[in-house]
Parts: sequence; structure tokens; C-alpha cells
Amino acid sequence: MSTPLKPYWNWLTHYLQPQWPQVGLLTVLIFSNLGLQLVNPLILRYFIDTAISGKALPMLITTALVFLGMALLSQGALVSEAYLGELIGGTAANRLRIDLALHCLTLDLSFHHAHTPGELIERLDGDVGALSNFFSRFVIYVLGNLLLLIGILAVLTHEDWRLGLGLTGYSLVVLLVLNGLRHTAVPAWTTTREAQADLFGFLEERLFSLQVIRTNGAGASMLRRLYSLMRRVFQSEQKAQVMNALVINTTSFLFGLGSALGLGLGAFFFYTGRATLGTVYMIFYYIQLLSTPLRQITDQVQDFQQVHANLNRIQELYQVQRAIQDGPGAALPAEASAITFQDVSFSYNAGDAVLRHLSFHVPPGKVLGILGRTGSGKTTLARLLFRLYDPNQGNILIGEVDIRAARLADLRQHIGMVTQEVQLFNATVRDNLTFFDPAIPDEQILQVISEVGLQTWYRTLPNGLDTKLATGGVGLSAGQAQLLAFARVFLRNPRLIILDEASSRLDPATEQLIERAVDRLLQDRTGLIIAHHLATIQRADEILILEDGQLGEYGDRRTLMVDPLSHFYRLLQTGLGEFLV
Amino acid sequence: MKTWQWLWRLVRFKPWLYFLLVGLWIVSFGLLLTPGLILRVFFDRLSEPAQAAIWLWIALWLAAIAGREGVRLITFTAEPWMEITISALLRKNLFEQILARPGSQALSCSTGEAINRLRDDVNEIAVFMIWSPLIVGRLLALSIAGIILFRTDSFIALTVILPFALIVIATIALGRRITRAREASRTTAGNATEALGEMLSAILVIKVAGAETHLLKHFHALNETRRRAALQERLLTESLGSFWLNLLNLGTGFILVIASRSMSRGSFTVGDLALFIYYLPWITDFIYSFGSFLARYRQLGVAFRRLMELLPGASPATLVKSGPVYLHGQLPEAPFSPKTEAHRLESLEAQGLTYHYPNTGQGIEEINLSLRRGAFTVITGRIGSGKTTLLHVLLGLLPKTAGKIYWNGELITDPGSFFIPPRSAYAAQVPGLFSDTFRENVLLGLLEENVDLPGAIRSAVLEEDVKALVQGLDTRVGPRGVKLSGGQMQRVAAARVFVRDPELLVFDDLSSALDVETEGILWERLFRQRKGTYLVVSHRRSALQQADHILVLKNGKLEAEGKLDELLETSEEMRQLWKSNKSTVGRIST
Repeated sequence: MSTPLKPYWNWLTHYLQPQWPQVGLLTVLIFSNLGLQLVNPLILRYFIDTAISGKALPMLITTALVFLGMALLSQGALVSEAYLGELIGGTAANRLRIDLALHCLTLDLSFHHAHTPGELIERLDGDVGALSNFFSRFVIYVLGNLLLLIGILAVLTHEDWRLGLGLTGYSLVVLLVLNGLRHTAVPAWTTTREAQADLFGFLEERLFSLQVIRTNGAGASMLRRLYSLMRRVFQSEQKAQVMNALVINTTSFLFGLGSALGLGLGAFFFYTGRATLGTVYMIFYYIQLLSTPLRQITDQVQDFQQVHANLNRIQELYQVQRAIQDGPGAALPAEASAITFQDVSFSYNAGDAVLRHLSFHVPPGKVLGILGRTGSGKTTLARLLFRLYDPNQGNILIGEVDIRAARLADLRQHIGMVTQEVQLFNATVRDNLTFFDPAIPDEQILQVISEVGLQTWYRTLPNGLDTKLATGGVGLSAGQAQLLAFARVFLRNPRLIILDEASSRLDPATEQLIERAVDRLLQDRTGLIIAHHLATIQRADEILILEDGQLGEYGDRRTLMVDPLSHFYRLLQTGLGEFLV
Repeated sequence: MKTWQWLWRLVRFKPWLYFLLVGLWIVSFGLLLTPGLILRVFFDRLSEPAQAAIWLWIALWLAAIAGREGVRLITFTAEPWMEITISALLRKNLFEQILARPGSQALSCSTGEAINRLRDDVNEIAVFMIWSPLIVGRLLALSIAGIILFRTDSFIALTVILPFALIVIATIALGRRITRAREASRTTAGNATEALGEMLSAILVIKVAGAETHLLKHFHALNETRRRAALQERLLTESLGSFWLNLLNLGTGFILVIASRSMSRGSFTVGDLALFIYYLPWITDFIYSFGSFLARYRQLGVAFRRLMELLPGASPATLVKSGPVYLHGQLPEAPFSPKTEAHRLESLEAQGLTYHYPNTGQGIEEINLSLRRGAFTVITGRIGSGKTTLLHVLLGLLPKTAGKIYWNGELITDPGSFFIPPRSAYAAQVPGLFSDTFRENVLLGLLEENVDLPGAIRSAVLEEDVKALVQGLDTRVGPRGVKLSGGQMQRVAAARVFVRDPELLVFDDLSSALDVETEGILWERLFRQRKGTYLVVSHRRSALQQADHILVLKNGKLEAEGKLDELLETSEEMRQLWKSNKSTVGRIST
């Protein structure tokens, strides 16, 4: 296997190996079918020469019937081939999809911020789908057809060495030309797929936020954007298709040329007395037959041109490395534990520091309230604790353990967070609450539903926990969705709680509803409350005020509250007036 | 509408291109038949003494093939043009219609599913549009082939044409099952794509919850369902397809059996045999493609239906309506309608607004509302009391089941298309940002010279944030705005409203993700300007205190309304909302 084909070989063996019995059966089927093709022209020659000699009608009919019998045999082979091909390709494609999805899920947030879901859907769904054909058919067809090609040339050489030599030369020229054309359309196809990914990424985002477009009267300008994106698809695909057409037309012309060569050689052998009329026809028929492997190889090359682009992009995706590596597996404390930030600095883009030399310590079981202007680094702080990002400098400890030493899964199991954005899945209420974990019993779910104060809402559900929730949460207010997010955390029973702007969407009456539940959640656990509103940090034992990513103020809440010189005190004053009029 | 009626309208969109394709295919199939006739002459005259003529026939053979490939190259250039133009038209019509539907109900399925249809079903139709001229060409050219064969030997020709009729009957019988299998296969594919989309959109939540494995299992289960459905479909279409493909072998066998007697008698020459076998692949190919054409035509009905499901209630004609798609030339101007006296708001009145969500039965009932020019009206109430629903019904984002809306005393029949800039603009609770620049997220297509962008940025208290960004307004905010904080996103949504300078400004819980200081500045600027009429959902004391009028909602009904002082006297619900607000602040101060 030559170097450029190496990645394909690796992929094939990796994804087809578990299905070797099916692959083997498919190979046998395809080969027997090709064998039937090789024998057909010999029968035809015998038929013609016997017919011209004007004798033995029963022999003629028997020959014709043998031909017909072989046709019936290949019928069964064809159906089984298609079925097996789809079976193998589909299974391999699904394995690849899961591998890729897993890879994408483990990639860093910064990656997901740079790629729209629509774009990744195009990779995981569109590209993988195109590869499915490659899995099931490519190598088998190419190998099978190569053997047919060699078989035909061998039979012709046996007939007359000059004939074999001439047509071997011809086949080599055709294959060389086809090989030369092979890569011509790849860049154009890549551009096309990119343009398509952009188009569907655009549509996906716009369809997700239709209200925004409508209520801001932006419909017409969104259409204008659609036009320009479709124009890019048009320009790139037109180019790719024309290049493809050039390959097809060149190929077809070469086959016509080959037939002319066959007729010429046949005429020459006939006139020099080396061939019967039946042999001339057989030579012509074999050359027609040569076009089948050459054409199928070309077809596969055409698919291959697309698959090449598909595979390139999938490999590109695979090559994206995550910066966050799993820890060796230090055990995190089973009880509520201290959180320590030691001189932590972090920036999303080099030079643009979000957190600077931040150090603080929260004792076990205490609740820390974090305050700061929008963009002061509060959310970032929580993301560091989860290892969604790693700090550029400094350490974060839970208890005595550096979080980089613990397994990611353990770490994230250890911490629970309620964020402002509540993502719902088009699935049952149960699956939405448990994140598809079947191990959580219904009683526990129901208990949590009443704990967070959603029982009134739950009673309106027509099918209880089996009620489907639609994406975007139709029929679910933002506040109710927020309560759902609380329920999710309750179900996971973490040791450390982060409430990130948790109560921002709740009106005061509803907020009271869940206060008790939050109190219980914070009981015997260490907590971080990140909020813009003073009211939501009333539970905090200690206060941290972030200013431009630096520690602005840190101290006991009750102490700071009565210290007129503290920033917290000033904030409380503003907060009481609620705004600065 | 029947499938062919839809198709005919698409043909009428680009008739000359369509009929050019038909013409090109007829010519290229004509050139395809010629070599067969040359072949017959070649084999019949090979035994004759005039050897020079044979070389001439071989040269003619080459010329016919070169001509055919030339014509086909032109055809292959015209085909993608047709295909992409048609898919552009369908996508444009669908997107345009979806944008025109009431906002909260605009999409009848998830976005992932909608994308699946906008991609695959549209492609299916577009491909059919270039496939049908090919079929027309084949039909014509191959009936000529039929005549040639029939005139050569009518008996043998009939044994070739007979299976053709049988196949068509078989296709019709199997067709319905193929349609069903196809539908099932597409639905399962849609479910899998949709789950994938959701998974990728919820990446942060999934990571934080450590739920990767469970979600992958869910995705895998959907993929396996999709695979089984695809296998079923493949088996059905392929058992039909392979039958046609193999008809070449079967047909050749037939010809040999039938021709044995005539050949041994000498009435059927080797040239005739060569002609029959040369035409046979094309005839079976035609039978195959005509058969799958029928099957595909049936699948096309599914595709059209699935696309129409994206536009429930719309007339079928809207899907295939002709119109410019701007693949060439100048794009249309960015639309802008400046505010005029005609847009001026004097009063806005709503009576008896009612809406219930179909799945939960919750909603709003019999709500009256009255706004005068320049008023600051606040809607308040508990979670789930119907505040957002009321805004959506008023703005036509949800279809009201009862009630009337009057603008300056005039009845508004279609609020959805009425409440748009420059009359009104709305910032929803969920800001809905796009992966675009900061500037474009505020402008949403408006030309900067037409509006006061810096003013809007200032009104939304974003000027410091913009300054802090390295690329300022040209910063790309990432998919759905993820590179911005929650508060920044909400203020971008507010800036979108301000930049449109509408008569009526509608905000849903504008300040929920803002810190105290930023929120303070925002309200201050808002009250100081008071350029328009405001309708605001809020439970903030500051907003309630400043309000000219407050609506208190409870369980979807109007519980009380009036000024804050009166309401605190008369409404228990208002007292509770007010108290809970006070008590939290009070606890901090003690």
C-alpha cells in the first residue's frame, strides 16, 4: 500500500475488521459475479461460430440456455451484494459517528465556540454518510475489478500475444489518464462542502432564533444573506461538477477509442486469417467488457474524489487536540472540602488576561459569594474549577488535591452547577432531567421535582415523566426551565455547588419557592454563588469581589457588610437603591 | 397538489434551461444510437472483399463517439446550473415563508430536523429536475432504437420489449412499500441528526454534568434505528434495481435462445446480433432508469410533503413560487424603511387577549391592555404567570385565540406583520445571537449610515464592553454569541431594539443577567431618554416605581392594574411580589 493510501487502509481495517465474516462473504459474492462475466464472451464466440457453420440447432440452444442460467445465478448475487454492502457500510458508519461524536464532546470549549453545531452536523452526518459507501464498496469493487481487468487481458494474450500487448498498453494509458484526473476536482469539492456547511450553519442559527429576526424586522436582510451564501455554493459546486464532467467525458471517449482499436485489430486478424468472425466479435465484446472495470474504477474514483474531501475534513477534525488532558486519578474527598486558588492567571487569547494572580481559600462547607461587573471573570472562575479550561499559571485545589490530578469524570461528578442557559433536549422529561441516565429511579426524579417546586407544572404534563419536551422548551417559561436545571443538579448529588447567576431569571415569588431547596443543596457542601444581584448571595459566608480579573476584596460577609470603607458596603448601598438615579 | 403539478411549476421557473437540457439529451442519445448501426455494417461486410470501406466505418465510429462526448460535456455544465438554481429557489421560498410565520410557532419541528429537510429533501427534488430531461431524452431516443430492432426482426425485438412491460408492473406493485420504507428511513435519519444538533448545542451543560457517555448511548440508539430503516429501504429498492441491471444478461440469453433458429437458417446475421447486443444495455438501462424514475417520482411526493410540513397551513403554490434567487448579478439592496408620521404611535389597546398552549393548557386569558404615547408600562407577576406569553400574543408571535388589538384606534388583524420596526421592536429574554460580528449582531442587516449605531450601543450600556474588545465592533461573537457573557448578550439584544428607533420598545426581563451597576446605568439612560413608548416585563423595584402603569398577572389572568401605590393598597399579589423583593434586600442590610 503506497503512502497516500495509507490513511484509507488504516480506516478500512479499523472499521471493517469487526465485521470480517460479512466482508468475506461479500468478497466471495462479488468475485463469483465477476467470474461469470469473464466466461460470457467465450460462450458467445462458440455460439456465433457454431451458428455460422449452420449445423446442430440443439447445441446452439443448449449454449444459449447455459448463458441464461448464469444470468439467473448472478441475479441472486447482486441482491445479496447490495444488502451486505449496506449492512457493512451502515455499521461502520455508525461506529465512526460515535467515535467522532465522542471526540467532539471531549474537545475543549474553545473549539465549540469556533464551530457552529450546523457545521459539525455536516461533518458528523454529511461527511460520514458519504464515507459509508466507501466502507462497504470501495476496496472490494476496486480489487474485484482489477482482477477482472487482469483476467480479460490474460484471456486475450492467450488468444494472440500481440492482441494482449496492444490492449494491455491501452488499459495502462486509460488508467494513467484516469489517475492523472483523479485529484483535479478535490479542491473544488472541498470548497463546495465548506460553502454548504456555511449555508446550513447559517440556516440552523437563524431558524433557532426566528423571533429575533421577526421582531427586529430583519427578515429581508437575512434573505439577502441567504442569497449570498447560496451564490457561493453555486459558484463552487458549478466548478466542481464541470471538473467531474471532464473526467466522465474523457473516460467515455477513451472507451470508444478502445472499441475502435478492438474493431481494427479484429479486422486485421480476420483478414490475415488468424481469427473467425466469432473471435472478432469476442475481441470486441471483451473490450466492451474492459470498460466495466475501468468505468467502475472511475466511478469509485469519482466517489473517491468526494470521499477524499470527506475524509480530509474528518481527519482534520480528529487531529484537533484537546488542551485539557485527563488527570491520573487522584481521589477527591468524599465530604465537603475546601477550595483553594493559588496565584491563578488565565486568558482565553494570549495577552488578554481574564484572571490575574487570583488567590483565595474557601474552608470546607462554607459558601462563597462572588461579585463583580459583567466580564470581570466570574464565569471564567467557575469554568476553571470544572477544568473546561486550565489556568495559564497557578493551581486550583479541592481539599488537598490539585484538580489536574483527578480524573475529569470524577471532578465533574464532584461539582454541580446551575447556569443561566438551560438546554433542553427533544426527549422525555425523564431524559431531560437525568441526561439519559437510565440508572436513576423514577421515585427519585419525582421527589426532586417536588423539592424544586415544579410539582404544579408536573401535574399539567399529559404523560408524566414520559411527556416529550420540545427543543427550546415550548410551554415552559424561562423560570420553569431554570427550575429544571436545579432539578438536574439535585439528581446528581454533587459535593460542591456552583450557582452561576442561578436565580437571575426567577421572579421574587418563585425565588422564595426554591430557597429552601437551595439551602438543603448547600447543606454539608461547599458552595460558590456567582451573581450580579446582591439578593442572591445572602447565603454567602464569605464575599469575593472581582475587579478586572483581580481580587478586589475578600472577607467575611458580615464583617464587610458593616464596614463603611468596603466596596461591598458601597455596593449594598447602590443595591438598596437598586439603580443609580 | 400532485407531484407533477409541483414539478411543472418548477419547470416554469427556468423553462428555457429545462428544455435546453431536454434537447441536449435527445441529441446525445441520437449520437449514442449511431455506433450500433455502424457495428452492424462492420460485421456484415467484414467477410466481403472491399477491405478499404471497413477502415472508413471505424473512422465514422470514432467521430460519432467524439461528437457524443462533446454534447454531453455541454449537458453536464448546464445540469448543475439547473439543479442549484432549483434548490436555491426552494430554500429561499421555505426560509422566506418560515420567517413570515408567527414567531413562537414558526418552526413545526426542531431546527435539526428542519435543516435535514432543507438539505436532503430539497436536494432530492433538485436532482429530479435534472433527471427528468434525461428520461425524456432516453424515452425518445430509445423508441427509435425499438423501431430499428423491430424492423430488423420483430419476433426477437418483442422478446426484449416484453420484459419491459413486466418490470413496470412490478415497479408499481413495489412502489408503495418503497415509499413507506423511504419515509421511515428519512424520519429516523432526521431524529439522529436532530439529537446530534442538540448534543452539540448543549456541549457546556453536557460537559459540566459529565453526561457524555449517556448522551452518546442515546445517539447510538438513534443511529442504529436509522441504519435498520436504511437497510430495509436498500433491500427493497435494490431487489428492484438489480433485477433491471441483470436484465442485460437475461435479455442476451433470451436473444441467443430466440435467435438460434433464425441464425442457423441465415436470416439473422452476426451484424444483427451485434446490433441487438449493442442496443440491449441501453434498452435495459432505460428500463432500469424508467423504473427507478417511477420509484423516485413516488419518493419525490414524500419530499414535497415533508417540505410542506415546514409550512403548515400554507398554500402548496408558495413552496414552488417563481422569483429571483440572485445567483448572478447584483444582490438586492439592504432594505430600510425610515420612520414616518404614518408609523407614529398615539395609543395601543388590547382587549380580551387569550391564548392557551396546546400541550399544557397554560397561557393567558381575557387580558386588557392600554398604552398611551410615551407611557412606561410594566408587566409583572410570578414565574409562569403568563408575562412573556402576553407579550408574544400582543406582538403576534403566538396566535391569539380571542381578543382584539387596536393601534391608534385601528383594529390590527395581523399583529405578527404589523409589530415590526419602525413601529415596534422587541428584546426577548433569550437574546438569540448569531455567529457574526458584534456590529452585525446589532444591525442585523441595517446599513450603518441609516441608523445611530453609537447611540444604540450607548443606550444599551455597551460602549465600555466594545472598547474592551480587541477588534471592537468587528469582533466575531462565536456561535450563538458564546464569546460574550450573558449580560453582554442581553444588552446586545437591547441595542438591536434601540438601533431601530421604534415607536414601541418591548423588553422582556431586560436586566435579568446584568450586574447592579450596569443595570443601574441602563435604567437611568432609559428613563432619561424616554423617546418612545415602553412595554416592559420586570419585577425589579426600580422599574415598578417608575412605571406609569403596572399590570399584575397571576395564573394567566390580569390580577390587578394601576400605579404602584394603588396596587400596594389593593392587591395582595402585588404586595407579595413587592415584599419578597424587599425582604431579600432587607436581610442583607440587617
